[in-house]
Amino acid sequence: MPGPEGSLLHEWLLKTARKSPDGLAILEDGKTTSFGDLLAQVESVAVTFFELGVRQGDRVALVLPKTTESIVAVFASLFVGASYVPIHPRWPKERIAIALDDCAAQIVVADSDGILNISRRAGGGTVEWNQALSQRRVIRPVLQSVTDAAIILFTSGSTGNPKGVVLSHGAVSAFVKWTAQEFQIDSRDRVASPSPLGFDLSTFDIFNMAWCGATCVVAPESIVWMPRFLAGYLRDTRTTCWYSVPSILAGMYDDGGLAHGGGPDLRVALFAGEVFPSPKLTLLQAALPGVVLANLYGPTETNVVTWHRVPLTFDSSEPLPIGKPCPYAQVTMDPETGELLAGGASTMSGYWNRPEETARAFIDLEGRRYYRTGDRVSRGPSGDYTFIGRLDRQVKRRGFRIELGEIEAVLARHQTVLEAAAVAYDRRDRGTAITAFVRSVSREATTIQEIRAYCASSLPLYMAPDRVVLVESIPKGNRGKIDYASLKKAAEDSDSGD
Amino acid sequence: MEIKVEVRKYVIENLVNDGPAISLSDTTPLITGGLIDSIGMIGLVRFIESRFGIEFASREVDAHRLDTLEAIESLVFKKLTQAPRPL
Repeated sequence: MPGPEGSLLHEWLLKTARKSPDGLAILEDGKTTSFGDLLAQVESVAVTFFELGVRQGDRVALVLPKTTESIVAVFASLFVGASYVPIHPRWPKERIAIALDDCAAQIVVADSDGILNISRRAGGGTVEWNQALSQRRVIRPVLQSVTDAAIILFTSGSTGNPKGVVLSHGAVSAFVKWTAQEFQIDSRDRVASPSPLGFDLSTFDIFNMAWCGATCVVAPESIVWMPRFLAGYLRDTRTTCWYSVPSILAGMYDDGGLAHGGGPDLRVALFAGEVFPSPKLTLLQAALPGVVLANLYGPTETNVVTWHRVPLTFDSSEPLPIGKPCPYAQVTMDPETGELLAGGASTMSGYWNRPEETARAFIDLEGRRYYRTGDRVSRGPSGDYTFIGRLDRQVKRRGFRIELGEIEAVLARHQTVLEAAAVAYDRRDRGTAITAFVRSVSREATTIQEIRAYCASSLPLYMAPDRVVLVESIPKGNRGKIDYASLKKAAEDSDSGD
Repeated sequence: MEIKVEVRKYVIENLVNDGPAISLSDTTPLITGGLIDSIGMIGLVRFIESRFGIEFASREVDAHRLDTLEAIESLVFKKLTQAPRPL
């Protein structure tokens, strides 16, 4: 809990590594990296970044899964004063290219045919990762301010392209320091978040490692997708603090043996990103006696701003509140619409390169700047907020945020598609389902399979519709607007429900 | 042959939601082709394990090895001939 001072994320690592060089920084599938080794690797890679032209205020794109190497690259980026931009390597090529162009990264760290490379985007220059590790020079971190950008996280955008959320050192620091204090994390802890680097949840484990000297437990991709493997990994690695989306915890309960306990070491399980169905949460709580369970709430734009510790007397007939504000956050409610407005230290600086969208995202109230979450909430007598629903067409699926408008915009780019409308509905235990209604130039022009394959090549898998329906026309209301209500009903009615 | 028939039936009835309009060949990419998502993958592994009496360890199974009916058949066949059936 007591850690080095300051709010610059890479300085935490510097201080922790000097204080306890032999402490275990990263545990990844049997591979261990001490703080001393981690710092040496970070310094070495930072020199390479610098030599490839990365300067303060630049961006380093990390097209990588979460691994020891990608965590080294995170800190190396921050060391040279750049922000890191995680891009999931399994995104479709087209989307990766859009994100790389949008953030105008100076260099890209990526795996090409099994070899990890660091490449300059403009004008060539590639250095193999192993070569970068053998640098003998040492670089001093450049002076930075807490308001400088540390991370750009891409999230679904309704216009058809992902948009980058810029988080400063100070914004990430506020969240991490609070978790360390509230959940009493220290160097004896092993912290894990199975989320990819591009998810704000991934700031929890990486930076609690640097701040508290805790061990960051990295779950390899070959394990993360299967609840049974993941739950076994959690036990084997003696993980103490866990942070994931509810669907992963629920999956580990249903299929991973978490119903029989999380192992003797687990003491904190945090979740965020979507609503945890109350009945399942009650079961999980009973299976994990003595484990602190807490619901953390906040969109990527603000990171976590409210939280609620699941009480021992939790009533599963009620939805779990998103709770009260974190100490660094300012939260209020628009009295007319019920929209939750959130501000404070953890809030984004803005959307990367999108001044108009940034301006629209915020509202000034009584001299304070609030992000409009788009989430409709209620406030109970105890002061706890409870999520009711969205004010727009954004949906959550397995914790991933999806703008239905982005799916429609991507579908409309297909050469045979004239018009598309996407609707989402809740299938209870099976989560959110998305159906896309597609009108093409003619009945013979395309097939469902072709559209599905196109979606797979243009959208991340979690955004692809569960079902594609080819239609002759898309129903419109009298003002020519798509009648989403009737489409949603049609989608629900035709869902076999098995 | 039987492995592919059974898995195809399971995939069409449980994982692909487009109805009878979809046709699956032995080489149709199920995961990289966007027909099955990660939740579907978990269901598919569970089905294969219970139907053929095998149990996969981590690293034995991934998206690549589950991507087509052909790949699934060879994965199951390898597992069946390699290891004794767990009791």
